[in-house]
Amino acid sequence: MAILFQTILFYCFAVFLIGAALGVILSRNPVHAVMFLVLAFFQSAVLWLLIEVEFLALVLVLVYVGAVMVLFLFVVMMLDIDVEQVKGGLTRYAPLGFAIAALMVFELVQVIWVRGRFASAAEGFVPLPEGYSNTEALGAVLYTEHVYAFEIAAVILLLAIVAAITLTMRKRPGLKLQNIAQQVAVKREDRVRLVKMESEKPE
Amino acid sequence: MLANYLPILIFLGVGTAIAMVLLGLGLLIGTGSKDDEKLSPYECGFEPFEDTRVKFDVRYYLVAILFIIFDLEIAFLFPWAVSLDVVGGFGLIAMGIFLAILVVGFIYEWKKGALEWD
Amino acid sequence: MSSLIPQFVVDLWDAIPMLFQHLIIITAQILGVTIVVILTVAFTTYFERKVIGYMQGRLGPNRVGPLGLGQPFADVIKLVIKEVVIPQRSNRFLFLIAPMLSLIPALAAWAVIPLSGSFVIADINAGLLYVLALTSVGVYGVILGGWATNSKYAFLGAMRSGAQIVAYEIAMGFALVGVLMAGGSLNLGVIMQAQAGGFSSWFIIPLLPLFFVYFISGVAETNRAPFDVTEGESEIVAGFHVEYSGVAFALFFLAEYANMILVSALTAIFFLGGVASPMEGWTFLGDGSFLREPNFFWLAAKISFFLFVFFWLRATFPRFRYDQIMRLGWKIFIPVTIVWIAVEAVMAWMKVGPWSV
Repeated sequence: MAILFQTILFYCFAVFLIGAALGVILSRNPVHAVMFLVLAFFQSAVLWLLIEVEFLALVLVLVYVGAVMVLFLFVVMMLDIDVEQVKGGLTRYAPLGFAIAALMVFELVQVIWVRGRFASAAEGFVPLPEGYSNTEALGAVLYTEHVYAFEIAAVILLLAIVAAITLTMRKRPGLKLQNIAQQVAVKREDRVRLVKMESEKPE
Repeated sequence: MLANYLPILIFLGVGTAIAMVLLGLGLLIGTGSKDDEKLSPYECGFEPFEDTRVKFDVRYYLVAILFIIFDLEIAFLFPWAVSLDVVGGFGLIAMGIFLAILVVGFIYEWKKGALEWD
Repeated sequence: MSSLIPQFVVDLWDAIPMLFQHLIIITAQILGVTIVVILTVAFTTYFERKVIGYMQGRLGPNRVGPLGLGQPFADVIKLVIKEVVIPQRSNRFLFLIAPMLSLIPALAAWAVIPLSGSFVIADINAGLLYVLALTSVGVYGVILGGWATNSKYAFLGAMRSGAQIVAYEIAMGFALVGVLMAGGSLNLGVIMQAQAGGFSSWFIIPLLPLFFVYFISGVAETNRAPFDVTEGESEIVAGFHVEYSGVAFALFFLAEYANMILVSALTAIFFLGGVASPMEGWTFLGDGSFLREPNFFWLAAKISFFLFVFFWLRATFPRFRYDQIMRLGWKIFIPVTIVWIAVEAVMAWMKVGPWSV
């Protein structure tokens, strides 16, 4: 019963996922497209949960939905994109898109089918025992066995920080700033000058 | 494990249903007269001069990008924090190097003024 | 028990397949929790107006019902029968979807909150991660609402709110890493149990800086005063919900207050032992003493206290300037949390201090 229920859930969410993915490329409004992409990420998170990888599923929501898509939304909302011009590009880029799609299908087939013949994936996923936390299991290997990859990730993130700042940081010319501390710390002597002056006399 | 996640799925469904019912109720009951002035976008008593969706300061993108990077950093910290006793001293040093590299990035941001908001 | 329930109801219940029985029980629990949360929101608005009223030397609402207790219901009825204005140049679909998107995560996060020593709707291993993921989704409601309205005030409010929420989410995440290190698990129930043993073993003592960072970030994430520049009425009228009226506005309102209660509950669970009693270690009270038992009422008392602090802050502080908000989030909170994580890690490794590791 439970297995049947899981299978039904899997197919429901798989269909939703494909629908959302189609929505991303077919909707006219870029903001709608971003929202479809958010939906697609959610569906993939549910699919990942169905194979019991809770840490990755929740991190997918946290990082992609919570952070990356917010950036997408910012960009799409604030770069008033001309929708008509974008639509015109569809026919132009279609062949390239199909070529990439074909390549990805080939890769997927290669991974699932060709490699699957030698692996023992035939019996499917074994349900994990109660109380098994795959966050802890991940932690146990990530910082010991895969420490090299982990440090490389740090360097890549550092590179990303530097790159983001060099690409987008610009001091706007003619920007007038006020230095509040300086304004508050000003003394009477800095601003007021008393000048002794001879009174004017009638000639 | 999956059985524990079922209530969450249902909860999301119930939440959606409650929101839709409330909204539907309001749209159904709360009727009023509609006129052009009421439906026009709020502005100081005149028609808006230009479209709202204008180009925005690039600083907002920078904040969003930095947010993604730090969010990833937090995602890397979580498994470490729950497996402190398993990874021990080696894990501590590994995480020390990781954080040190990112603190360098953080200092770079700070010195470059990317965290100033003016 | 069977004498209280008519026989045909029992028969009917037994006739339902196990799976559906299970589903019905879960749905009933969820509806129960949701209704309690919504009712709490209603009375929180009353509580807020009373507290701020007294702080400003006024009486607050006192006309509807005894002591004005009927006020929340009057407000609800008023909001429901008001017209939902949908501005002409707005994006209708997103305009109506946005308040829903901010309410759903605010409610669904309650699934993993342990409400008593044993009751929690979804006892998942990665509960803390789930809460963090859902709160980060809440930002969509605000951003989409502001954009879909197509009014400059709303758009400005949404952009401010987006940048502010993401800045404080990082500080919040770092503070939670500290809690995780002390608690040793992502499961909220386990984090709560790690603090068993009375006031002296609560995480607020070893994690005091993180407690302040977490709670203040929570205030900033819910866009409450003094961090409410997203709806700063003196500059941008009402921010992202300037064009929202009637029930559409009520949904945003509900989400904001549900989030406040959620932040209070989470702070209580992470730093004050959740449902645990502060007097747990007082053996002289006797073994079966009610005061020493972990109980839902302790959690409720802690939540009420933090809600009071929310209103206290609102009545006390003037609104922050936007650059001050960003400076506090990026330049003060993040360094503080990183330093505290480092201190905690070294101490845990040297087996010094109260860490449970």
